Amino acid sequence: MKLILPDGSFRLLDQEPSTVEVILQQEGVNPAEVMVTRDGKLITEDTLVRGDDELRIIRISHGG
Amino acid sequence: MSPEPVCTGIPACSVCGEPAIIHQRHTGRYLCGTHLVTDIGNRVSDTIASQQQVISGDRVAVALSGGKDSTALLILLHRLFGSRNDIRLVAVTVDEGIYGYREATIRSAESLARRLNVEHISVSFGELFGDSLDTLLKGREQQACSICGILRKKALVVGAERAGATKLATGHNLDDEAQSVLMNVLRGDLFRLVRNSGTDSGGQFIPRIKPLMYVQEKEIASYLMILGIWEDLPECPYSIHALRREVRSILSGIEYRHPGTMLRLMENKKKVETAFSGKTIGEPVGRCQECGDPCNGRLCQCCQLRHSLGR
Repeated sequence: MKLILPDGSFRLLDQEPSTVEVILQQEGVNPAEVMVTRDGKLITEDTLVRGDDELRIIRISHGG
Repeated sequence: MSPEPVCTGIPACSVCGEPAIIHQRHTGRYLCGTHLVTDIGNRVSDTIASQQQVISGDRVAVALSGGKDSTALLILLHRLFGSRNDIRLVAVTVDEGIYGYREATIRSAESLARRLNVEHISVSFGELFGDSLDTLLKGREQQACSICGILRKKALVVGAERAGATKLATGHNLDDEAQSVLMNVLRGDLFRLVRNSGTDSGGQFIPRIKPLMYVQEKEIASYLMILGIWEDLPECPYSIHALRREVRSILSGIEYRHPGTMLRLMENKKKVETAFSGKTIGEPVGRCQECGDPCNGRLCQCCQLRHSLGR
């Protein structure tokens, strides 16, 4: 699975099918502070994702 | 009857059964993009109506930084009032002068106001206070948010006055409001905790309204994604110094584990407000001896700050 982080960098995860929430928690990210897209479409934190998915984490707080 | 779920590993919208894009944890509902847009529009409309935030004849100055909250606010207000002849919207943008941060959001604000055909007024710290925020903050970076907050509030009021506004709408969302409640409790600031700048104006200042106060930050970001106008804008370089940043992180974690916490904070603030209704906390509201703005004490916060900055 390809995981694109808010700063634009990415990581390849050897991941069993699991929910977005589990992946975010593994990455130390609070699901309330981000949006996650798969193939450009928003998905909820309890969506099931698989090994060939590409996920993008988008941080929503910018301050100011 | 609940809609049939769509079998794609994606939860189904609680309204129509299409793939959901957000889980509203505080209500337990899942919503697709279409129904999130409808739901937010309805909630904002209800907030405005229940608090009489906007009435016929109002000229509403909309604080438009170009960030996500103010962008959503102007779009929502334009959808509600854009075709009304008895209510006018004017966007007001403040350029604090934050190098590498504000340029992109100002471009975004200008573009949105033009696209919606909404009158747009800009005021800058340079024009009002003689220098950019970057310059004013030299050696005082730790106080960035306090200083910027005071000056930006003043700049917004100047912009709203220039627009001839009867209301000043800001894009504060539920997360912002709940954070403020918690911060005021942590600081022991009862005056700010019970103050309601939307109704307590007494005719002394332009009432502030917050139509997004019951919409979560994540819902607003998702709303803009669905409309196709989400922009991944840079983070304010000074936000690392803010107490709010710490409170935001703590509160969003609690909200995720205990959905509804932020709404309960708001409900409790309302109870405290009611309990103190009609009572004067601290000094009564008077006028600043230098600029004439309403304040508690001899000088308003902005004039006190100007003195301390040597301006």
